[in-house]
Amino acid sequence: MKIPFSWLKEHCPIEKSPQDVADDLVRLGHEVEGIETPRAGVKGVRVGHIVEMKPHPDADKLKLLKIDLGDVDHLAIVCGATNMVEGDKVPVATVGTCLPNGLKIKKGKIRGEVSFGMCCSEAELGLAEDADGLLILPQDAPVGEEVGEYLGLEEAVFDLDITPNRGDCMSLRGIARDLAADYGLPLIEPGDEVVATDDSVTTPTVGVVASEDCLLYRACRIEGVKVSASPDWLQARLIAAGLRPINGVVDVINYTMLDLGQPMHAFDADTLHGDITVRTAKEGETFTSLEGKEVSLHAEDLVIADDNSVIALAGIMGSEPTGVTEKTTNIVLESAAFRPARISITRRTCGLVSDSSMRFERGVDPGMIALAMDQVAHMIVGLFGGKVSATTTVGDADSLIKDTQIQVNMQRIASRLGIEVPKTADAVLERMGFGIEHQGDTLNFSVPSHRPDVRLAEDISEEYARVIGFDNIPVVMPPLTNIQPSKVDTGITDAVRLGFVQVINYAFISPQEQRLFVAEDAPQDDKDLVLPNPISEAMSVMRRSMFPSLLNTAKYNMNRQQTGVALVEQGRVYAGNMIEHTETNMLAWLMTGDVQQDTWYAKTRKADFFDLKGAVESWLQGRGLTARFMADDDVQGLQAGQTAKIFIGKSVAGYIGKVDGDLADGFDLSDDVFVASINLDVLHAGKKAKFQPIPEFPSIERDLVFLFDKGATSDAILQTVRKACGQHLVNASIFDLYDGEGVPEGKVSLGIRFVLQDGKRTLTQEDSGKAMQAVIDMMVNKFEAELRG
Amino acid sequence: MKEVDELKAQLQDLQNKALALFAEAESLKVLQELRVAYLGKKGELTSVLKGVGKLPPEDRPVIGQFVNATKTTLAEALDKAEVLLSDKEKQARIQAERIDITLAGRTTSRGVVHPVQQGLNEMTAIFSQMGFEMAEGPEIEDEFHNFDALNIPAEHPARAMHDTFFFNAEGDADAKLLRTHTSPVQIRAMQACVDAGGEPPLAVVAAGRVYRCDYDVTHSPMFHQVEVFKVDKDVSLAHLKGVLQHFLTAYFEKDVPIRLRPHYFPFTEPSAEVDIGCVFCNHKGCRICKGSGWIEVLGSGMIHPNVLKAVGIDSSVYSGFAFGLGVERLVMLKHGIPDLRLFFENDVRFLRRMGAK
Ligand SMILES: [Zn+2]
Repeated sequence: MKIPFSWLKEHCPIEKSPQDVADDLVRLGHEVEGIETPRAGVKGVRVGHIVEMKPHPDADKLKLLKIDLGDVDHLAIVCGATNMVEGDKVPVATVGTCLPNGLKIKKGKIRGEVSFGMCCSEAELGLAEDADGLLILPQDAPVGEEVGEYLGLEEAVFDLDITPNRGDCMSLRGIARDLAADYGLPLIEPGDEVVATDDSVTTPTVGVVASEDCLLYRACRIEGVKVSASPDWLQARLIAAGLRPINGVVDVINYTMLDLGQPMHAFDADTLHGDITVRTAKEGETFTSLEGKEVSLHAEDLVIADDNSVIALAGIMGSEPTGVTEKTTNIVLESAAFRPARISITRRTCGLVSDSSMRFERGVDPGMIALAMDQVAHMIVGLFGGKVSATTTVGDADSLIKDTQIQVNMQRIASRLGIEVPKTADAVLERMGFGIEHQGDTLNFSVPSHRPDVRLAEDISEEYARVIGFDNIPVVMPPLTNIQPSKVDTGITDAVRLGFVQVINYAFISPQEQRLFVAEDAPQDDKDLVLPNPISEAMSVMRRSMFPSLLNTAKYNMNRQQTGVALVEQGRVYAGNMIEHTETNMLAWLMTGDVQQDTWYAKTRKADFFDLKGAVESWLQGRGLTARFMADDDVQGLQAGQTAKIFIGKSVAGYIGKVDGDLADGFDLSDDVFVASINLDVLHAGKKAKFQPIPEFPSIERDLVFLFDKGATSDAILQTVRKACGQHLVNASIFDLYDGEGVPEGKVSLGIRFVLQDGKRTLTQEDSGKAMQAVIDMMVNKFEAELRG
Repeated sequence: MKEVDELKAQLQDLQNKALALFAEAESLKVLQELRVAYLGKKGELTSVLKGVGKLPPEDRPVIGQFVNATKTTLAEALDKAEVLLSDKEKQARIQAERIDITLAGRTTSRGVVHPVQQGLNEMTAIFSQMGFEMAEGPEIEDEFHNFDALNIPAEHPARAMHDTFFFNAEGDADAKLLRTHTSPVQIRAMQACVDAGGEPPLAVVAAGRVYRCDYDVTHSPMFHQVEVFKVDKDVSLAHLKGVLQHFLTAYFEKDVPIRLRPHYFPFTEPSAEVDIGCVFCNHKGCRICKGSGWIEVLGSGMIHPNVLKAVGIDSSVYSGFAFGLGVERLVMLKHGIPDLRLFFENDVRFLRRMGAK
């Protein structure tokens, strides 16, 4: 909301600077988004006295002026205007001034004559759209004074963001009330001139059916109005406050709404048929808004209707055919109280917002209904003529504007704020309109009609806090409730230690991307969670796989001079329907391109399956977990033969594999891409480390090399080895893999290294020989392997 | 010439020749060979000694002494030559092993924690140390937890301030939405406490992703919040200020002035927006803080009695404070990151520069 400072001063005689007032508004809870000085551009323009005027020797249309600015020397100015005479006072832009239209005044020569400035028109000062000649100032204008100051143009306008609970502050009077109370200054009451009513004008007939939603409705008729444009001062105020002038009657209503906070409406009486009824809409009834938009109404919409049709959406806007225009002569004026929640519903369902609805939704002071109507009638008759009927009133005005009484314990307020409430606070609240009476610890608090937001003890505590000033509340550390173990999740930190860069992607992806890794109906009847109002199609489905966003991130980076990336993301995947859905915590990796670049000690190398597998294994080891990898040729989006399910114990914890080549191509990724994901929610915490003594007796290391058929997996071989070796085996691993020259087609040579140990004695050659023989027998029996050495 | 003199002369010759050879020896291996050649069991000195047997008995001790002296001389010379040579060889080896120690060391590539994650970690750690317990909640929420229980009824204008991603029509009995803030975790944590038959004190910190249907230079449809609240007997606005001051000082690692401005949130009463002294101009006023010297960082307040009522906590006995802060915003302020969108572009050059190693 825009608050012109000069207008504010009409409600309260403030003498502080705009900046100080802005600071005080902030302290009182009104966010100041800015202080505008829309006409600051006239700085440097001064009142000049034309002491001499001669024709230009070389140009018929130019004049040579000598201007007195109150300085020692008179200023020579060449001027093209014709409407001034010697002795006039005019605005003079001096050298260095920058006018609102962007023109910078420089010393110049016009047709051989020097000019030290420019005499200005209203348009050049930004006071009018266009102008005919110079602005001639009154004869008593003080020579040399800044024109901006003289004309009151250096207006500061506060741009306030009024919070939704403070409907009362959606007006000049409301803001002034808070400031006046804070400053201890008087709040100037609005004028009480009332137009005499004329019995010859018929009072409108009003019926209120929806009396729960329309608490008070007042209407009067004004006949014989000559609607013209509103006066300049009024238009200027509306513009300064951010409203567009429309016509005299509408402008007066808007002006009063800004001034006192009460939105009103005027109908062209000659467009109405029969009586006025306030009722809820009939399902399917239509309404044409002022902007010509047709909306279909519902039974929960509150409307104003005549005998034929809906003439206004209550508290929001009038209909297009019944609006006041320049041709209107007879008016029906409405001033009413509507229930905020009802206005809110219609505003949302119809999608129509207005200055009126913004106020009614936040709560309008019913105390202004009559006053504002009187002000509007008075102004209309004064400016545009007409006769006013007596007013029809439906509803109980007295009960509506009655104060609300609240009783609270003062200690509760003190304990909520953490400070004893100083006596001085009461006086400020009283100036704001509250009634205060202390009886021991009991506070009898009466709330005026303009503060419907204050109903609870807690609301009162806020009023006290505002008045005391949040800065004056002490800073106190609360007692420690309980000591917490530091439980910062190390999942990401561990992955990062293994060389991965953490990324954070949006949780929504495109429907096409969703289908890359998750089939429409897979698995367990899970469905996509689709956003009906997405930012864009590309962000319209909650992801069920982490891989599409990782691929996009890889694409983004590989297109930007990276030769390889190793990425990790921790986040959720989402699936299900509206009734039942799941959110699963995932950790996902992606590797592509160089894992090693050329250095003086190593050659460049591209990522392969085992780079990623190693990372996943190490990450699991960090949590005390060991995984088994089982080949799986049927994972969507991943390449058969280079893809595995990851098992932790008996449950599937995730997948690892090479992204299908065509799929990767779709992301402009030309190197092999490997991805893995782990479902964090199925991981159980690994076992806590338990002490074990370091073995006292030496271990024995033995190597065996076999020829196996290709296709035998190291997992199966090592499992068999473990069985064969028995309890002495500490570790068995593949230390060599060779299928080059000397190895028959279809075979592979694998070297297995064994570490054997006993906790109670040194193992002998015989012990290890026995174990090795058992291994050889098993390898031959089970794999038809052939011992090489 | 007597045989004995002849033998002496012979020994003298042998010694001269040997010493000359020792001095010329170029490696320890040659020296070792010379030692064997002269002092070994089958060496030259031994063969000279064989002639001693032919000498008359009275001459034998004389020549014996002479032989021993020669032996000692040769042995000492050998030892000395050995020391010199091994020293020389070590020097040569050191010279040969010289490297360019300015070459880059062998490294494996390092990862980085995302700056937002790093911010989350730092913030939750500070609150953990202050006794707040970590909690989590779903991102797909219902209207009750995201709005109603937080005292934001359907027709309330504040509801419009949240640009909500709804999955189905707003107002449906079971309408689901992406949570617009982390405050529903507040409701869930309090409900869980009450449902388990417990009662306050409760001190909780909850961090996570939140969603708003808003996308431009300063808005991301997904961002992170940290929600902090405490419910106990006699919790006051002064306590809120205490916790905020401690947190902001700890997070920014310097004394930052804070300012509370009265504001309105449906779920707190009183409510306050919290500003910190601008970290870019040290509170003096600059372009970023629009000359005010203050920068808004979070919203806070005393929990509204209707919120406590919604979860079955008696607001005449208990009170609480709550606040929610935007993680990205604080991280941007702490590290001078100019553009919110950088966080979700995930350019590894940005991440490597800004993320925690
Ligand atoms: Zn600043």
